Amino acid sequence: MATISLKGLNKVYPNGFHAVHDLSLEVQEGEFMVLVGPSGCGKTTVLRMVAGLEDITSGDLRIGERVVNDIEPKDRDIAMVFQNYALYPHMTVADNIGFALKLRKLPKDEIRKKVEEAAEILGLTEWLDRKPKQLSGGQRQRVAMGRAIVREPSVFLMDEPLSNLDAKLRVKMRAEVRRIQERLGVATMYVTHDQIEAMTMGDRVAVLRDGRLLQCDTPQNLYEFPVNQFVGAFIGSPAMNLYQGELFDGGRSLKIGSQILELPEVVHLKKPTLMSYSGKGVTVGVRPESLKAASTSTTPGTVLSVQATLVEALGSELMVHFSFDAKVVKIEDIQDDEEEILTGSGEGVARIDPSVSVKAGDKLKFEVETEHLHFFDPDTGLSIY
Amino acid sequence: MAVVAEVAPVVANTRNRNGRRDVHTSRQARIGWMFSTPALIFVGMVTIFPIVFSVALSLSNVSVTGSGFALQGFTFSNYSQLVHSSTWRYALGFTVIYTVVTVLVELVLGTAIALALERLTKGRGLMMALLLLPWSIITVISAELWQYIYEGTYGVLQAIFQALGLGAPVFLGSPTSAVVSMMVADVWKTTPFVAVIVIAGLVMLPGDVYEAAACDGASAWTIFWKITLPLLRPTIAIAVLFRILQAFGVFDLPFVLTGGGPGTATTSLAILSYKVMFQNIDYGPGAAVAVSATLLVVLGCLAFLRVFKAQVGREEIQ
Repeated sequence: MATISLKGLNKVYPNGFHAVHDLSLEVQEGEFMVLVGPSGCGKTTVLRMVAGLEDITSGDLRIGERVVNDIEPKDRDIAMVFQNYALYPHMTVADNIGFALKLRKLPKDEIRKKVEEAAEILGLTEWLDRKPKQLSGGQRQRVAMGRAIVREPSVFLMDEPLSNLDAKLRVKMRAEVRRIQERLGVATMYVTHDQIEAMTMGDRVAVLRDGRLLQCDTPQNLYEFPVNQFVGAFIGSPAMNLYQGELFDGGRSLKIGSQILELPEVVHLKKPTLMSYSGKGVTVGVRPESLKAASTSTTPGTVLSVQATLVEALGSELMVHFSFDAKVVKIEDIQDDEEEILTGSGEGVARIDPSVSVKAGDKLKFEVETEHLHFFDPDTGLSIY
Repeated sequence: MAVVAEVAPVVANTRNRNGRRDVHTSRQARIGWMFSTPALIFVGMVTIFPIVFSVALSLSNVSVTGSGFALQGFTFSNYSQLVHSSTWRYALGFTVIYTVVTVLVELVLGTAIALALERLTKGRGLMMALLLLPWSIITVISAELWQYIYEGTYGVLQAIFQALGLGAPVFLGSPTSAVVSMMVADVWKTTPFVAVIVIAGLVMLPGDVYEAAACDGASAWTIFWKITLPLLRPTIAIAVLFRILQAFGVFDLPFVLTGGGPGTATTSLAILSYKVMFQNIDYGPGAAVAVSATLLVVLGCLAFLRVFKAQVGREEIQ
């Protein structure tokens, strides 16, 4: 069992495109590390460099104590699960899983035993004689995992293995993959573009953008203490609402649009540097979860008056899309193009209790959990702590 | 090769509750027939009719008169003549051996070339164009070119051999060497055809399967035998099928290169049929030879498709 250590990895393609910049990361023994980020951020490139399927332009890659930069994939003691499974179409499930063992010239009965064990863990025992084309997507994904498991490697590398499955199956398989990895205790690097997958599966999550590592931390820390507005908006669903705001009155008051929120003492205790932004503009981040329907017991100074533009009833909560006269700060890569069309100026999303009666067009008041507000430098985007 | 796993029904059930097809489908069908009929008539005239007529000829006594020919009676005598003819038996044997040898050699060479070309990233287009030159030259012309090369007294090879002091070899003059020379000319011309089909199959193979194999620890040799070749089976099956169809009816190459000689050494079934029909003006037996050749091709293809049914038209690579 080994660790993975990336130190200052760079990847520059022949056409000059610098895909990965000085990336340093460590994966501990038995750890489930998720690489997450928008499309094109370089996460798959990093994974492929660890696998040996892409050359490393500069930097050191260690698996265990060995520097493996120039070692062939088959000698790195890794096993990879591909996004499209890459199963051998002409071989049965049993042959697919046992192929690597056959290549290592293990005796036939030992191969069969190991294949049957893996099939048992994955629930594939009755499918061992089928060919991949006779299997469903979820079953093929499990065969791909079986192929990786049976090799008993030091490291698992998984490239978006669940992205081709339907939503319900994906949720089920998330738990399965994690359960299997925990049982085997193998250090794993898992790539996904889905931040929900990242948050639910990872021991630690590394957020990448444009080939750079922005932040690597536990899911909870990423959620509570994002290093910049990109990480803040990327983690959490629906995304954090970001507005232009202005601090004044010694930092005790925040103006968003034409409304004013009072910031309690605890905000300044948690974020000491915020004071220095008094009289200046800041970017304010309000998570949808931090908004509640205002009631009679709401503290004045934490109220935001908005107009609801769309209400989505999910059963367990209401997603209220709202607008008011604040200026929205948009970040690329956070929203799909379709969402951009819907989000006009000053629009945001709130998650509130389903018992609140509100419909599109209604005016309503939110209570803002001001102690959970996030603040970012308007020029650099870095979090203000 | 991504070939559809099952052929879906081409026309959905379009009958309405009265059992009549709806107006739209009827109209579409009528338009279809309208446009297809001229082509069908033409194909029928040029293909079906000669086949049927040849079969009729082969089963009758055909007498040739000054003003044409006449079919008289129904008989199998043309076919019994064939079976007892050593020339026909030789032509049959020669055609079969010729097909087997050339197809095998072209398959091996063509696949090797395809594998080599597939690795080229730059210049692949140019190499393929060069590769296809032999295939693109009309057979009659290339046969003439090979004649110049093989010619007994003034040929190119003669000049080379003499310059090297290796004496005066015979190529087209003796039976065995004529057969081999013809096979060489055929392989030169047709290997590109096989190579191109195999390349098309190769580029369609899923790339990530190879990466998985690399991670699993497969050497290049293992990858070729255990992954590439099995996945190429449908493509190779198609190429071999085409080649068998072509090779069984080989005519233009021997006709121009050797005229079927020396003697009857390179007389294929097609050449024999031509000679009997148009040189000996023996229509009955000539037609019988042609029909026998056709029957053999059909049987050969059916046998082939039987064996490779799983490969051709049914295999799906996801």
